Amino acid sequence: MSYSNTRLVPPFHRSPSSVAIRAVASYEAGVEAVLWETLQELGPPVRDKSVLLKPNFVEPDVEGTINTHPVVIRAAREAFLRLGAKTVIVAEGPGHERDTEAILEVLRLSDYVGPLDRSFVDLNTDEVSQVSPRTHASKLKSLCLPKTVLAADFVVSMPKMKTHHWVGVTLALKNMFGIIPGNCYGWPKNVLHWAGLSQSILDINSTIRPDFAIVDGIVGMEGNGPIQGAPKACGVLVAGSDPVSVDATCARIMGLRPERIDYLRRASLLLGNIEEARIEQLGETIGATCKPFEMVPAFQELRA
Amino acid sequence: MARIPPQERDIHTPQSSFFPDLLRRAQNPDGGWGYRQGLQSTTEPTAWSILALLAHEGPPDKVISSACDWLRRTQTDEGAWPTSSGKDPGCWVTALACLAMAIAAEGPEGAVSRGTKWLCSTWPAEGNLLWRLRQLRQEKSEIFVHQDHSLRGWGWTPNTASWVEPTAYVMIMLQNLPPQLRPPEASRRLQLAERMLYDRACRGGGWNAGNPLVYGVPGVPRIGPTAWALLALRQHPEHSAVLEGLGWLEEHYQNPRSPASLALTQLCLKVFSRPTRPIEDALCDFYGGSEFLRSTPVVAWASLALGELPRWLGPSSPEKGVI
Repeated sequence: MSYSNTRLVPPFHRSPSSVAIRAVASYEAGVEAVLWETLQELGPPVRDKSVLLKPNFVEPDVEGTINTHPVVIRAAREAFLRLGAKTVIVAEGPGHERDTEAILEVLRLSDYVGPLDRSFVDLNTDEVSQVSPRTHASKLKSLCLPKTVLAADFVVSMPKMKTHHWVGVTLALKNMFGIIPGNCYGWPKNVLHWAGLSQSILDINSTIRPDFAIVDGIVGMEGNGPIQGAPKACGVLVAGSDPVSVDATCARIMGLRPERIDYLRRASLLLGNIEEARIEQLGETIGATCKPFEMVPAFQELRA
Repeated sequence: MARIPPQERDIHTPQSSFFPDLLRRAQNPDGGWGYRQGLQSTTEPTAWSILALLAHEGPPDKVISSACDWLRRTQTDEGAWPTSSGKDPGCWVTALACLAMAIAAEGPEGAVSRGTKWLCSTWPAEGNLLWRLRQLRQEKSEIFVHQDHSLRGWGWTPNTASWVEPTAYVMIMLQNLPPQLRPPEASRRLQLAERMLYDRACRGGGWNAGNPLVYGVPGVPRIGPTAWALLALRQHPEHSAVLEGLGWLEEHYQNPRSPASLALTQLCLKVFSRPTRPIEDALCDFYGGSEFLRSTPVVAWASLALGELPRWLGPSSPEKGVI
């Protein structure tokens, strides 16, 4: 169970991390094969474990630029099952739209993962347990967390590669906001904003650190993300077991300096590697895949 | 409580009692309802279930009285209701609990009065001194959410910003109380909240969670917030924001993407006496496909949409209230 196994490791005790960058031209270009090959190489330890895939579902979006694409979710689900996972479920608690079913309907998620009553859990309506955060960076004294997440053996954060008008970018760590249930915090989960966004990201991820991250950067979002930005065809999937190094790698692909992203810098103190020298890059290079993202004025200084 | 076995469902021969029956059977032994069938009882689904069953069945029966007992037991000493047992209070769940108890009882009682007082003394955080000082210090170019923060309603939870849906729930609840049972601050809070909703309307009609313009980009309206804002403003059917919101809602009525959006649109259009169509088959089709993700509030909204117009959404006057 993730909660009791949370790893808070300062940089001087930490091993280097591996992150894979895979070029994928489109959602029709063999995502399944690429992701299967990537997971075989990285070897996440999921045999006989219950795996929870946490995508980024925000709003019903017919354009396909806001939410994690269901092709990537299906590919991850099938790959984890082939690796011997006992169960794989998709779980999310959308932060803006309380009509989760409307989002799933637009995505046609059931076409990709099967009947929703067996494959999907709405974390906004889950039973919760109150836990003490492992760090206290924010004003949050406790966290209400869904029992489905607490019971999972292996949590996979699956964000869309997007800019974010409050914190710069939203990737594997920020995506974990979606495990915070609306039935305790509302829609949006405004308590987290008032408690300090960057600090809340650290507290949530220190308490439930994702065991693995797969970022959908095939088509991302630039500009006024995470909802109102423009599509950005970036053509990559980025994956690894250290969510900080996955996010740092994505930031570099987006043409940004990860150490200038406040929450990433904070997370690098306890949760993972941010320095390029401590990240073993598999697959494509950052240089070959870098496609600088447009940023809103408040985050121009994040640019490399 | 266990899920309803497939063989006991009768979704192919829809009857107006299908969803109310579903609610009745999903009631927990302690009297409340969980967000999903079989989960522990919490405030919001319990309040929606009471409101939905009352709209279908009239006078309170044992199901309703045990649910009201559950609500009475879970009210905090301060008068609020927690979002879940033992958790922090929520403005929206307190409003819904007050409304459900007020409608269920012959007349308002102490629990409702205490809940209402708590709501009227709970202000969102965006107008406090710290917030105003920060706003003064902020460069104009840095302010990218353009809205009037002096117009405050209610947040989902205390000490956060005002948002459309919790504000609408509290307004509907207060509108239903007769003046003698409203706290002294209620009139001022209702006026401010009403102006806040107008301020937060999206360009071209409708509402989203509460940010109509970010970095100069218009926000996209959503059905839930639009329906609840319109229902809270139902006493002003000629206001331009209400007319635009209704127009936007009618545009999206033909192609509903979920049972919640279909049910809330239907309910709203009925309240404003706009044309509607039979939606029972469509709701049952949705249920057959996904079981509404087993969501109790969505089952309750479906019940409300299919039944007679509940009196708490009927015409009310600021002078008399409804109850």
